[in-house]
Amino acid sequence: MNKDILFRKNVKVIGNGPQTILFAPGFGCDQTVWEVVAKAFANDYKLVLFDYVGTGQSDVKAYDIKKYSTLNGYAQDVLDVCAALNLENTIFIGHSVASMIGMLASLRQPEYFSHLIMLGPSPCYLNDPPEYYGGFEKDQLIGLLDMMEKNYLGWATMFAQTLLNNSNYPEVRDDLEDRFCSTDPVIARQFAEATFFSDNRKDLTKVQVPSFIVQCSEDVIAPESVGQYLHQHLPNSKYQKLQAIGHCPHMTDPEETIQVIRQYLQSGAVGC
Amino acid sequence: MLKLMDGQLNHAPCGFLTLSEKGKIVSINQTLLSILDYHMDQLNGKSINSILSVPSQMFYQFYFVPLLKVKGKIEELYISLESSSKREIPVIVNAVQQTLNGETVTNCILFPIRQRSEYENELLIAKKNAEAALVEKHQANEALERALTKLKHKQEKLLELYEQTSRELELARTIQKTSLTKPILTNDIQIEAFHQASSELSGDIYGFYQIDKHRYGVILLDVMGHGISSALITMSLHSLFQRLISFGMNTKTVMKELDDHLHNLFQDYEEVRHYCTAIYLLIDTKKQEIEYCNAGHPPAFWQDLQRNQQELGATNVPIGMFEEVDYNNKTISYSPGDRLLLYTDGVGEPLGTGHLATLLSESTTSPLVQLKENITDSIATQGNSHQQDDDQCFILIELK
Repeated sequence: MNKDILFRKNVKVIGNGPQTILFAPGFGCDQTVWEVVAKAFANDYKLVLFDYVGTGQSDVKAYDIKKYSTLNGYAQDVLDVCAALNLENTIFIGHSVASMIGMLASLRQPEYFSHLIMLGPSPCYLNDPPEYYGGFEKDQLIGLLDMMEKNYLGWATMFAQTLLNNSNYPEVRDDLEDRFCSTDPVIARQFAEATFFSDNRKDLTKVQVPSFIVQCSEDVIAPESVGQYLHQHLPNSKYQKLQAIGHCPHMTDPEETIQVIRQYLQSGAVGC
Repeated sequence: MLKLMDGQLNHAPCGFLTLSEKGKIVSINQTLLSILDYHMDQLNGKSINSILSVPSQMFYQFYFVPLLKVKGKIEELYISLESSSKREIPVIVNAVQQTLNGETVTNCILFPIRQRSEYENELLIAKKNAEAALVEKHQANEALERALTKLKHKQEKLLELYEQTSRELELARTIQKTSLTKPILTNDIQIEAFHQASSELSGDIYGFYQIDKHRYGVILLDVMGHGISSALITMSLHSLFQRLISFGMNTKTVMKELDDHLHNLFQDYEEVRHYCTAIYLLIDTKKQEIEYCNAGHPPAFWQDLQRNQQELGATNVPIGMFEEVDYNNKTISYSPGDRLLLYTDGVGEPLGTGHLATLLSESTTSPLVQLKENITDSIATQGNSHQQDDDQCFILIELK
């Protein structure tokens, strides 16, 4: 059972520190995005990386259209990993939508988590005037979905192999080593819809686990006003703005990202 | 500072763009500037976002940045640019990272693909339609599967019900059979009978009883129709005639009572009214007389040892048909060795009365059971060529 979960979600465990950090990738790419940042914590922590079912090198056969139609399905993946590895008091680091996935998981089983570290989080991408500015109109988000779809035309041959994804044929899995940001189009679209049309604003005040909001500069996807909104509504949250520009500070500016996370963890925030 | 490009790259047949590590525009060729309708100084040091549509800005963050970081290059990515007049320009981008003098930059070439993009849009629409049709087909299939499962379930229930009904009918048939009297064989008389239902239950019924030392009552009835309803009526009549005959009542009274019973039975249920033909013989072996009453029943054969045959024809209309009917009877005198054959339509019609008469005549010297067998064989042979759709019953009497 546990082994199944670890296989299905392509779980990797590195290091052997007293406390665990669980890294959750955001929308788009797989756990490879954490490579540089994770390495910096490997000496002091036990690190756990995984892919949601349907992404990266997870077991696509375990994909369930109904389950993954909302972020709760992905939150269940996080809880499954925690349960399979018997995790508790874990530092959760999520990028982008994974911040909300981790938050939803913490609402269901707070005992698994000591802290939620959120890189570029947003509780709602859609504008909801006059009181909330998520950054996007609906047609702009649909434009993104269409753009993804058009790119899949070129990637189609890669996805065709998804169907062959079978552990009995290791050579097939080897071919898929290179999937990184490419996911089955149907699955990617569903993840995108679950991500961009979700609204988790009402859940924020219920969060018990302390959180750390890492806000990027010039981030079109999660603008500063959204980060501030989160800081105001998440109880026991800290807020830090980075100089890093864009939405992927863990990739473009890993040093700064590592530094602020380390600072937060050493500031006495951690420890129960 | 935007770098100057050499003439060839500046006017190359594709857009060329260099981005800094922070995603700022470092250089841009004239071809791309013309496509975007910008001057070089308008884009100097600006973010890549300033020439991308909003969906492209998102797409850039979700795919372009991670792919470039991990792979160092990008091939055939589709995005759309936005011109100074907010016009969308679909392009294909190839990009590669390059580090020069400690500075990392990204070189991109961009091909506008307006016509191809439209074609792809059409393809996508067609694909979506096909997918929607497939979903519909799946749904229709699922609905069909559900209907089939339901039907199968109902069929199983029906079969179960049928089996249950069959068992019930078999039981009812046994009960009906038990009400039939056993053959009689005394020094004065021998009586044999044959009874076979067209379906599980029969509308024919008979009874013969020794009333006292010298008197015997023999009755044969055929309720209109066959099956369950007719059988129920035979059972109702059976309990009545058994009592009437045992009391030794005369033939007229027996018929009248049975007639009244049917009228009473159906007086409030005209739509289910059944009538019934019947023949009742009251045989006195001491006087060697037979009093009989035939209510619309096929005539009985009466044959002496010289093979002379007579018919005991109808003396009345069938019972249960008209109210207030007075029943008549007739009396005949017989000699020892005379035989009688009483039968219902189910025997008379397929075999023909002529054939019955012949069988009776040919078996004059054979024992009564042999005659019964001959008639039964004839019925069985006829049964092969004719579909048996009526109940079959006959009674043979030999007087001594």
